[in-house]
Amino acid sequence: WMLGVKMAAAAASSIRERQTVALKRMLNFNVPHVKNSTGEPVWKVLIYDRFGQDIISPLLSVKELRDMGITLHLLLHSDRDPIPDVPAVYFVMPTEENIDRMCQDLRNQLYESYYLNFISAISRSKLEDIANAALAASAVTQVAKVFDQYLNFITLEDDMFVLCNQNKELVSYRAINRPDITDTEMETVMDTIVDSLFCFFVTLGAVPIIRCSRGTAAEMVAMKLDKKLRENLRDARNSLFTGDTLGAGQFSFQRPLLVLVDRNIDLATPLHHTWTYQALVHDVLDFHLNRVNLEESSGVENSPAGARPKRKNKKSYDLTPVDKFWQKHKGSPFPEVAESVQQELESYRAQEDEVKRLKSIMLLKIRVLAPQRGIIAILGDLNLSVYITCSSLPELLEKKRLIDLHTNVATAVLEHIKARKLDVYFEYEEKIMSKTTLDKSLLDIISDPDAGTPEDKMRLFLIYYISTQQAPSEADLEQYKKALTDAGCNLNPLQYIKQWKAFTKMASAPANYGNTTTKPMGLLSRVMNTGSQFVMEGVKNLVLKQQNLPVTRILDNLMEMKSNPETDDYRYFDPKMLRGNDSSVPRNKNPFQEAIVFVVGGGNYIEYQNLVDYIKGKQGKHVLYGCSELFNATQFIKQVKQFGQS
Amino acid sequence: MAVDITLLFRASVKTVKTRNKALGVAVGGGVDGCRDELFRRSPRPKGDFSSRAREVISHIGKLKDFLLEHRKDYINAYSHIVSEYGRMTDTERDQIDQDAQIFMRTCSEAIQQLRAEAHKEIHSQQVKEHRTAVLDFIEDYLKRVCKLYSEQRAIRVKRVVDKKRLSKLEPEPNTKTRESISSEKVSQGPVKDSEEKPTTEEYPEKNSAEAQPELGTWGDGKGEDELSPEEIQMFEQENQRLIGEMNSLFDEVRQIEGKVVEISRLQEIFTEKVLQQEAEIDSIHQLVVGATENIKEGNEDIREAIKNNAGFRVWILFFLVMCSFSLLFLDWYDS
Repeated sequence: WMLGVKMAAAAASSIRERQTVALKRMLNFNVPHVKNSTGEPVWKVLIYDRFGQDIISPLLSVKELRDMGITLHLLLHSDRDPIPDVPAVYFVMPTEENIDRMCQDLRNQLYESYYLNFISAISRSKLEDIANAALAASAVTQVAKVFDQYLNFITLEDDMFVLCNQNKELVSYRAINRPDITDTEMETVMDTIVDSLFCFFVTLGAVPIIRCSRGTAAEMVAMKLDKKLRENLRDARNSLFTGDTLGAGQFSFQRPLLVLVDRNIDLATPLHHTWTYQALVHDVLDFHLNRVNLEESSGVENSPAGARPKRKNKKSYDLTPVDKFWQKHKGSPFPEVAESVQQELESYRAQEDEVKRLKSIMLLKIRVLAPQRGIIAILGDLNLSVYITCSSLPELLEKKRLIDLHTNVATAVLEHIKARKLDVYFEYEEKIMSKTTLDKSLLDIISDPDAGTPEDKMRLFLIYYISTQQAPSEADLEQYKKALTDAGCNLNPLQYIKQWKAFTKMASAPANYGNTTTKPMGLLSRVMNTGSQFVMEGVKNLVLKQQNLPVTRILDNLMEMKSNPETDDYRYFDPKMLRGNDSSVPRNKNPFQEAIVFVVGGGNYIEYQNLVDYIKGKQGKHVLYGCSELFNATQFIKQVKQFGQS
Repeated sequence: MAVDITLLFRASVKTVKTRNKALGVAVGGGVDGCRDELFRRSPRPKGDFSSRAREVISHIGKLKDFLLEHRKDYINAYSHIVSEYGRMTDTERDQIDQDAQIFMRTCSEAIQQLRAEAHKEIHSQQVKEHRTAVLDFIEDYLKRVCKLYSEQRAIRVKRVVDKKRLSKLEPEPNTKTRESISSEKVSQGPVKDSEEKPTTEEYPEKNSAEAQPELGTWGDGKGEDELSPEEIQMFEQENQRLIGEMNSLFDEVRQIEGKVVEISRLQEIFTEKVLQQEAEIDSIHQLVVGATENIKEGNEDIREAIKNNAGFRVWILFFLVMCSFSLLFLDWYDS
């Protein structure tokens, strides 16, 4: 019974922890890592390629690498000098160039011993290539260990993962959906996706039940994944899902549900303007792999026309799970974030004053009392004060750093919001998507010259076009087109969306976005908020009401076994069943406790946040969100534009 | 979960070997393989650096073991339970402290040396970085081990401090503390050892005498029975000497007092005279001011007089010239 509880607890451990543990074990020469405070130092060198770098960087900071004993971390394809007497840990993808470079390293005898770790499984022939090179260089004994790590995915949050960052174009929305794709190319793309998903499930240690919609790329992925999992389970000798590897991760009573959806069921969400902190940062600033790059202009003076351009400092910040403020507020609406930063600043100042007070008392004691009563008498009090001060100092410094970081980031976001009037767009789009009456006409907003960039207007119009039940009349359409071109938009994306709409209309009813109301908060609260440091006059304080995006609704139906015309004809795959994979009738009648939603073709933070909010309401259930690539609206429009051109 | 394919790798190595043999390709390995490896390895700079680094690490490890071994004894000895085993005298503890400090110093010197060398000789940036990082690790290890040592030491110092505080705060300690202090003082020196017995003897005495606390008497009280005649004489002599000194000091002070009084009297006279002079100087000052005024006025008068004189002269001249002109005119008119 205790084992069951432990297993349940282990199952709830996040994918991020698992991947981190796996990486640490790899760095510890493939022996489980145990913290030992008085252990002898061992040092090693880490060599990775760009894939490895993308996987490691959101999970382990440079300091943590140092703690694991890594003195140098280098890219595989850089110039590397021989460093004698040092073991080298390699973490690379088994591609041709990487293998060649590794063989070259072996020949040049750069390091003392080699621990080779491949991100995904290496083929037999490539292994033989390495063996050949090792033999030729008489370095066979130096190759200490060779491992297949099965870590070919990037974990960004505790419950969110992305397939890859380096070769995004290969599995991008455009790559999957372009009209001129050949079968072989499609196969390669699908294989890449399936490989990563397979690695994901190996790391998770569970075999899922797969459900997917029919007739889409998601279906192809589901079939291939099912086949791969099945093959692996049958192969009793080499199965990755048996024995203790499974025991630690097996959900005690239930298997997780994998929902594979295609991007095409919902094209409005990637275009949507958003109001939550993390999604805003992703939309408005340069944010990827948990790192945000800000350009700060030094000085806030208004430069007269013709003056020298202001110097811009580039700053980048890492937004990690260690950052408590980020973890708490990444899903909050933006005004809440502003208030919270204020509050944090207040409490920090209070703490700082407390420390200063203690310090002055301490000095007083030393100067006045010590000569009188002797230092020994007051030693006890001194100790206490010193202890309190010293222990709270690092905390304070850390807090200050975080406050500065978030102040900068939030200010940058706020500037964008004010410049482009994003709050207006957000409100309007919410209204469109929930089919409430619109108080301003679309044409007004589009022709308004100082609300938003041309791209914002394009996005708004596309959302409108996608969500209306019937297409606007030709005359209206011409009007809109003219207004858009006046505002400076490129009309290519519109072509594609038209095609898409026609296509999806044939397939199913257009997506329904559910009911929502946004309450603009009253005048009183707006007045109260102007006292805060972030002057938000004119920026409406919008409150997000819970609404379910299409993806969330699909998940809800499948997880709770609700009957719904949308999801009833989803295919059902169970790799553990002996035969028959074409039934649409789910064998399992109980609601699922764990689910993984994977969007083929790209996802974004808005969907992620929506899922997180949905699952918060359900006790004891967990959802992981994954996508083949992560894009914001700008990048999505760029891809869609290229369709129109071709 | 990662999969260990090392065995698979070794198997592929074998396959490749056999395949190469079959194809007759000259294998870099084979019989000469081992020798080749040796040859290839020896000219490699064997890393003087890393072997010395490992030496330093093993030293630090030894220090760590040494500290851990004696740690229990070090800390435990202060418990009031006096046991035969595991009791360390202070000297032993000091010895341990000293040894540990010497050790740590040599280790850190060795690390510094390595650091200097590493910077001097090597050419490549990466190797330099690597070596710096390695040395950082070793220093970190040393620091952790030193922490062990300093923790022990801190506990010991704390006890000494507490003891001192107790002894300072209570010159007439109550029964329990006295007992504990005296029993603790046992280990503190040979002098006090002899006092143990008299303390316990006096103990019932002092109990009744507690009503009249006498500061510092317990020191004297303890010593009375012990002073031998020689010591008494010595003390008396010293007493005399001190009295003499005090007297001479007293005389000197008297003299200085007299001199100071005289000085003050003289100063009074001086002040009086000065005040008189002040009055006279005042009057002189007034006179001088008056004189100045008069002279000024005199100057004005003289100036005016000169001016008048000049003016008068001009008129005389004019009159004379007019007269002479009139004479001339009359003369011309007459002829």
